[in-house]
Amino acid sequence: MTPASFPARGLADRLTTLFWRHPRILLVLLLTPPLLWLGVVYLGSLAALLLQSFYALDSFSGLIVPEFTLKTYAQLFTQSNLSIILRTLLMASAVTAASTIIAFPIAYYAARYAKGRLKAAFYLGVMLPLWSSYLVKVYAFKLILAKEGIVTWVATSTHTDWLLTAALSLPYVGGNSLATSYLGTFTVFCYVWLPYMILPMQAALERVPTTMLEAAADLGATARQTFWTVTMPLALPGIIAGSIFTFSLTLGDYIIPQIIGNSASYIGMAVYQLQGTAGNIPLAAAFAVVPILIMLVYLTLARKAGAFDAL
Amino acid sequence: MPPAVEFRAVTRHFGPVKAVDSVDLTIAEGAFFAMLGPSGSGKTTCLRLISGFEQPSAGQIRIFGEDVSATPPHLRNVNTVFQDYALFPHLTVLDNVSYGLMVKGMGKTQRYAKAEEMLALVKLGSYGHRKPAQLSGGQRQRVALARALVNEPKVLLLDEPLGALDLKLREAMQDELKALQRRLGITFIFVTHDQSEALSMADSLAVFNQGKIAQIGTPAQIYTQPATRFVADFVGSSNVLPPTLTQALGGPAKWSSLRPESLRLAQTGPLTGTVQSQRYLGTGTRITLTAQGTELAAFLPAGQPIPPEGTQISLTFPPNALHIMDDTP
Amino acid sequence: MRSDAPLSLKLTAGAGLLFLHLPILLIFLYAFTSEERSFAFPPPGLTTKWFAVAWNRADIWPPLILSLQVAFLATILALILGTLISAAMSGAKFWGRDQLSLLIILPIALPGVITGIALRAAIPMLHLDFSALTIVLGHATFCIVIVYNNAVARFRRLSGGILEASADLGANAFQTFRHILMPNLGTALLAGGMLAFALSFDEVIVTTFTAGVGAASKTLPIWMLDELIRPRQRPVTNVVAMVVFATTFLPILGAYYLTRDGAETAGAGK
Repeated sequence: MTPASFPARGLADRLTTLFWRHPRILLVLLLTPPLLWLGVVYLGSLAALLLQSFYALDSFSGLIVPEFTLKTYAQLFTQSNLSIILRTLLMASAVTAASTIIAFPIAYYAARYAKGRLKAAFYLGVMLPLWSSYLVKVYAFKLILAKEGIVTWVATSTHTDWLLTAALSLPYVGGNSLATSYLGTFTVFCYVWLPYMILPMQAALERVPTTMLEAAADLGATARQTFWTVTMPLALPGIIAGSIFTFSLTLGDYIIPQIIGNSASYIGMAVYQLQGTAGNIPLAAAFAVVPILIMLVYLTLARKAGAFDAL
Repeated sequence: MPPAVEFRAVTRHFGPVKAVDSVDLTIAEGAFFAMLGPSGSGKTTCLRLISGFEQPSAGQIRIFGEDVSATPPHLRNVNTVFQDYALFPHLTVLDNVSYGLMVKGMGKTQRYAKAEEMLALVKLGSYGHRKPAQLSGGQRQRVALARALVNEPKVLLLDEPLGALDLKLREAMQDELKALQRRLGITFIFVTHDQSEALSMADSLAVFNQGKIAQIGTPAQIYTQPATRFVADFVGSSNVLPPTLTQALGGPAKWSSLRPESLRLAQTGPLTGTVQSQRYLGTGTRITLTAQGTELAAFLPAGQPIPPEGTQISLTFPPNALHIMDDTP
Repeated sequence: MRSDAPLSLKLTAGAGLLFLHLPILLIFLYAFTSEERSFAFPPPGLTTKWFAVAWNRADIWPPLILSLQVAFLATILALILGTLISAAMSGAKFWGRDQLSLLIILPIALPGVITGIALRAAIPMLHLDFSALTIVLGHATFCIVIVYNNAVARFRRLSGGILEASADLGANAFQTFRHILMPNLGTALLAGGMLAFALSFDEVIVTTFTAGVGAASKTLPIWMLDELIRPRQRPVTNVVAMVVFATTFLPILGAYYLTRDGAETAGAGK
């Protein structure tokens, strides 16, 4: 008869026994390298950033004085810096709202009606632009929005150039050309972040069970009532999840307004320019804390709305 | 000869929850043993303690007399048929079945020959080249069985082995498993929440309740002489009579049980009440009534007149049918 | 439910998809334009000469090669670290598990400029010089989550039983890893790695903060950014943009096909 157990045959068996008796050893072995990386290098960097924001730049020597002060944060509240923050927030809100509206029909169609190959095509059609080169996409809009570019050409050849002229002559958002106006910056933001809105929205819409829609219809709801009382409330967490991306990404971006826009500054641009040419790392760090705080508030609200389950 | 499996005061807790609470258990070699209980009663944890996927918080487990507290699952000569079969999706049926032999270092020709032999035994001789996804539920179950048995384990553990099969297939597999166990002589231990499955397949069983064993015995013992109110109620839904009623029927002032099928219609009898509902079951009809303040069920075999709902009836039973239980709930 | 969509919905959905794709096609068109100083539409003439010009431009090759190297190294690091975390997270619950999952997504949840400026502030503190290696460091940090997402989804889908079944049949941890875990996790890791590669290859925001000065840290996206701000031969930039697009497009498509049968289709969350 064979025995009730086999002897350990070598190191592999003995190590397996050790991991079995003390699962924590395996856990520690698995987690040590990534924790060193993310916990020490990355979190350490964020901590260093936070620390720097409490230092100040000596205005005479141009050197960083490593002493605790709130002076740098106070600088955020000057007129010009406040307008940068406000402008960024307005832009992020506008982009989020517009993305939601543009994304909805795509997400709704893909979730409700597309089947089989068409569904796969829709999915790829959203996923590829999501992942493909950010810079290439921004560049594409430089071509499109240029004064001599395709938008002007289409407007001229369809005799709708009056519309373009009217849009560009709007106060504040207009400008010399699309490429050098708030309208242009806004369009590119919407384009670049749109897929981030579509995917979570589609996922949330797909999770609304068809039986529930049938139940609503069965109870006498019209298609419109079903949509507003059943579909929308259930899909809302997905929409909020998508808005986390569009909002956060707009808050931190500094490339798009640098390439397409009227050279008005945004938080991301301020951070970049302050640390680079100005060498004012403390103020750059303080600026960087602003989107972190805004996103923390946003994420807390989103978590309350159940958006995390939709991520 | 030591018993196949022995639990000595085994406790396993998860945080504050005692999944298994100081269990003593002896399973003889060659037995077809069932662990029966509702979900969360500790039966599956007991099975996982034998396979080694759980380790006891206190107490000792012996397999064929050998203390296995330091032996990890892969060195135990015990194999499991998992509830969801856990077949390796990327391997063919033949590679699934020969996996255990492969990791123990057996050569390809030899292990394939043994695996083919085992597949023939479970009547899947021509399915070796398929992937698990191409099999039906019943076929996957057989592959899982062959994959475990090819290693010639000392003990085979089966976790709800028939749970995922439909009724007809389940009945056929019950007979097949029993025949297979007789033929191979290996100790089979299976976990189930289905009392009819446990009663019909096992030659002895343990009924679990809240981490403890409520009763161990043969199917007949468990069925006719339930030790506690829980066993009487869980196994075959017996009538549980409170001490006052037991006493009124001529017994001691203790809880007792009375099987529905031991009750007979009579002109006069110790139990009288009004028929409240009746349920036709094919082999007979089950009626319920309230007699002396206790709700009772009686099973009346087919072929006799069934009193309609609302009629007053009397019931009688053979004197030895009233089974006195101990006081544990 | 109606099985057919209203025409207005079909049209708006279709228009939305076109809006996502037409701009990229325009990039391709402008790579063939004969006009080098402006983005005039329609292009006055078509030519293929810019491909030859781009091929012979000495300032394109080193950034291209550097970008490939950086993406390769960052992917390897992310694969190792991401797999380790996903293995730990798929096992038993442990203290700090929720905090760890938050930590993993942080580099991608926070705007890139934050990760960038944080590393910019910290790297000198570690007495490191900005170089191609610090670019890799930054990229690996946000690529971990990509690999992790793919691997952990696959771990979840794997019937948990098969690892136990392997041990039950006598395999030690290393045999289980080799014979059961790797074959089942392999495509998810490959998909995660390909996405991480694509992401690293065209990353520009974190890169600008972690790159050193000079040609030795000039990745292809940084080269492109320079061209966007100070254009020279515009169609050459388009040729490079096509190359960048293709280099990211193919791995993304590959990742999709590797994981499309599962519930965890790659790329669903960037």
